[in-house]
Amino acid sequence: MKKVLLLLSMVVLMPSGSVLMADPAATTSPNLIEQAEAARKEADTLGYEWRDTAKLIKSAKEALENGQKEESDKLASQALLQARAATAQAKFMAKNWKMMIPE
Amino acid sequence: MKKTIQRRLFTGALVLMTVLGSKPSYAVNYQALVDADVRKFQGYFRKEFPQLKLGQYADGVYALDEDARKQWKEMEEFPPYELDVEAGKALFNKPFANGKSLATCFPDGGAVRGRYPCFDEKHKQVVTLEMAINECRVANGEKPFPGKKGDLAKVSAYMAYISRGQKINVKVNSAAAYKAYMKGKEFFYAKRGQLNMSCSGCHMEYAGRRLRAEIMSPALGHTTHFPVFRSKWGDLGTLHRRYAGCNENIGSKPFEEQSEEYRNLEFFQTVMSNGLNFNGPAARK
Repeated sequence: MKKVLLLLSMVVLMPSGSVLMADPAATTSPNLIEQAEAARKEADTLGYEWRDTAKLIKSAKEALENGQKEESDKLASQALLQARAATAQAKFMAKNWKMMIPE
Repeated sequence: MKKTIQRRLFTGALVLMTVLGSKPSYAVNYQALVDADVRKFQGYFRKEFPQLKLGQYADGVYALDEDARKQWKEMEEFPPYELDVEAGKALFNKPFANGKSLATCFPDGGAVRGRYPCFDEKHKQVVTLEMAINECRVANGEKPFPGKKGDLAKVSAYMAYISRGQKINVKVNSAAAYKAYMKGKEFFYAKRGQLNMSCSGCHMEYAGRRLRAEIMSPALGHTTHFPVFRSKWGDLGTLHRRYAGCNENIGSKPFEEQSEEYRNLEFFQTVMSNGLNFNGPAARK
């Protein structure tokens, strides 16, 4: 049972599938950064924000200001993926935390 | 005949009103629910570590590893928190601008560790010892002590020191208290952060096992000995400082000290240690 749960939680948190993929329309850095920030706030509201998400967004903003668009996109995408994974984690745990109690 | 029917109808209506207006007799016994959790939680550790008695869990990881215990015992001969306890005593008795002091707020000379955390039914929230210290300061026109270390930890350490031996017996007697308890319970068991780990994962399922060079401490007894002087910190820190450090370690954004989340977690964890003695402050690696 525990292995099934572990697998389930890993699947939920795998950075794949439409839930965690960056929006293809968000091709510009400012747009990606805005999306990442909105997603971070959602995870924070649920109490599940990850440690480095805000740092990644800050670094993405700094890279954009320095004209490093590619680097900025990379960082913002990472932040977006983290934030969406954190939200997925929060929603999964809200429903299933009691199944994590060891016997 | 007509009068008899009318009288019976009136009596029936009165009985019905009394039954509907009275409180239900099936009130939930929250303490019984919690006590069942405590038995299950402590039973888990009894099964994992049959050689340990309940009281030994107050020593944390040093109840599990003999070598580490010897080193810790030596450290406790000249405890690194000794000066902090003295400083805490001075702060506890230091008069506020209005002439009162922390000593005015707390009974029994401040030996009240065993009364915290508790659930404040009036304000519907968990109150920790550190929160009560700062509430006393604010109520007397002083600024609260900042953060999760420094003066706040020193006063807490002094109060813990003079309360050593008090038994943990946290009560959960109302729906609101049970709600806070359940929030703390959820926090304890839910996985979070980039590493997808939970308090229970490390401190129940991995308790006693090595994570790199460290042996994971059992969750039972976690709240008995705070604040602690950690060699890693080089100073004294509260339980919430430790919570924040754990959250950082698993890649989760930590909550503020004395946040509702950490107070509820402390409430749940302390309830789970009901029956143990408070023995803080303590030294830890």
